[in-house]
Amino acid sequence: MAQANPYEVSAAEIYEIIEESPTIRTLRVKPEKPIPFKTGQFIELTIPNIGEGPFTPSSSHYISDKMDITIMKTGFVTEYVHKAKVGDRIGIRGPYGTNYPIDEWRGKDVLIMGGGVGMAPTRSLFTSLLHDIDNYNSITFLAGARTPNDMIYKQHIQGWREIDKVNFLRSVDRVPEGEEWSEEVCLITKLLDKIDINPKDNPVVVCGPPIMMKFGTMDLLKYGYAEKDIYLSMEKKMYCGIGHCRHCVIGKYYACKDGPVFTYDKILNEENIWE
Amino acid sequence: MIVKAEDFLSFLIKCQKESLGGFQQVIVPRKSKNVEEVQQLFTEICDNTDVVLDSYRTIDPLRALFYFSRETLLPADKAKKRLIVGAKGCDMAAFQILDKALINEDFVDPVYQAWREQTTIISTDCTEIGDSCHCTLVKGKPYTDQNYDMNLSAINGNYLITVGSEKGEELLKIMKDTIFLSQPHGNEKETIKKNRKAIEEKLKQQNSKYIRSEDYGNLRKSDIEGWIEDSKQCIGCGGCTNICPTCYCIIVNDETTGKEFVKVRSYDSCQLHGYAKVAGGDSPRPKMYQRFRNRYLCKFDYMKSNFDLIGCTGCGRCIDVCAGEIEFREVVRKNMQLSKVQE
Repeated sequence: MAQANPYEVSAAEIYEIIEESPTIRTLRVKPEKPIPFKTGQFIELTIPNIGEGPFTPSSSHYISDKMDITIMKTGFVTEYVHKAKVGDRIGIRGPYGTNYPIDEWRGKDVLIMGGGVGMAPTRSLFTSLLHDIDNYNSITFLAGARTPNDMIYKQHIQGWREIDKVNFLRSVDRVPEGEEWSEEVCLITKLLDKIDINPKDNPVVVCGPPIMMKFGTMDLLKYGYAEKDIYLSMEKKMYCGIGHCRHCVIGKYYACKDGPVFTYDKILNEENIWE
Repeated sequence: MIVKAEDFLSFLIKCQKESLGGFQQVIVPRKSKNVEEVQQLFTEICDNTDVVLDSYRTIDPLRALFYFSRETLLPADKAKKRLIVGAKGCDMAAFQILDKALINEDFVDPVYQAWREQTTIISTDCTEIGDSCHCTLVKGKPYTDQNYDMNLSAINGNYLITVGSEKGEELLKIMKDTIFLSQPHGNEKETIKKNRKAIEEKLKQQNSKYIRSEDYGNLRKSDIEGWIEDSKQCIGCGGCTNICPTCYCIIVNDETTGKEFVKVRSYDSCQLHGYAKVAGGDSPRPKMYQRFRNRYLCKFDYMKSNFDLIGCTGCGRCIDVCAGEIEFREVVRKNMQLSKVQE
């Protein structure tokens, strides 16, 4: 009967901060105790006396003594995340929720679509896949951002592109004056036209702003992907993380417990899933 | 066993004063001085408390004594050993939802669990009904026949005691040592059965105009226009959810000031505008009618999927509390009918 308090928080120290874009930064943290997780799961990050919020680690799940968490400045707590300094103490509880079932994907062609800060969870997935790259037939990563300055993980691209079996395409919606860009200029969904697609029994992961997830999913269905093979990261307001506060419910499902990773077939009959 | 009502009251006061059985607190329904109607509120007993053990449910839900409006989860608040008397069928039925939601194999709310473990509950049969009472409409009863520690059924100024758990056994021992309990004559059970039936009939009669089909899965198919119309009276205050015996939505706040992390939970309401809004401003239910409809779907559809039970125990408190005078029973009936038409 006696279970651990699910609200127990582990302290962690920020040892490095990477400014990825004007609004997105990656906190690199060292928890006091290792935090093992499966890629796709999320944690609740505490800024002491300010608040906490759900974030998906962006580092590989093969690393548990350190963690990267990429966060966009978009609300109250994240404003303080963007004021944090190296050496600051934060809190982490979790991990919670479902993960990407990468063991089931052996021998397959894995397609990943990450838009904006949605590249964060997919970077965790991608780097976890790279750990055992021999297990997969190929990995295609389609990355999208509004402008070149908004594109994150720039420093890693070169290295990722040099890996065999990896195809890494990037696009931006537009190139404002004064910014440079030599890659695609289109919506991320248009990148699907530029790759070889093999939808039969192969998984595809979509993570990004709701509008991209919605139209990405619609396009993938047109390309022939099965509903059960489309993995969506349904990030809702996961307050408690443990299915007690009900803020994140998608109909009968809890995004925090039954998700955040859902296959499309599971939730397609629920209401307002894209909002 | 049979106990005289006055003896039982003196036992409760003695229990509170002398911490009999280790109880640090004895909580009873007392008459409300502010309301003209006969309605009760839970309170800690003292010498001059106007105790009302019978009648019908209290204004405040029993849930609020197990899941307070604000509690510290980390480090987890400690619970007192308590005796709560006068719980009614609708509130007891709510535990079937709350226990599944908050003490499950995945995660346990440590504070709720502590209150559940530390509390002995004596339920009492309803002897009257309120205007909004409708337990029979949701397959409930105006008395408790399961999950109680001890139940008291009123009979001619006395109570028939039924024990329902080990905690109830222990309590009975203490009662035997403290006050006089007599053996039943034999026909009490029959009389009580009759009394219960009479109250049930009253409830059924009162609610006959609200009878609806029980295929609540159809509720979500009903015409959206109907919900828009019904929600026009709603001011989105969240009173209905705060007073509901099965609602348990909370927010978790961080109140860390020192080295130890501190997490506090407080009530929230799906009727409030900011409820499901995420950072950046997106919300799955930005309009009032969507949030209004969500409460009904949560109770009759989502909770049914989650817990195999509907989330309404028919207490009617949401009707009493509503500033917009929304008749919950009528909204359900109407929208169940609309969904039928559409099929």
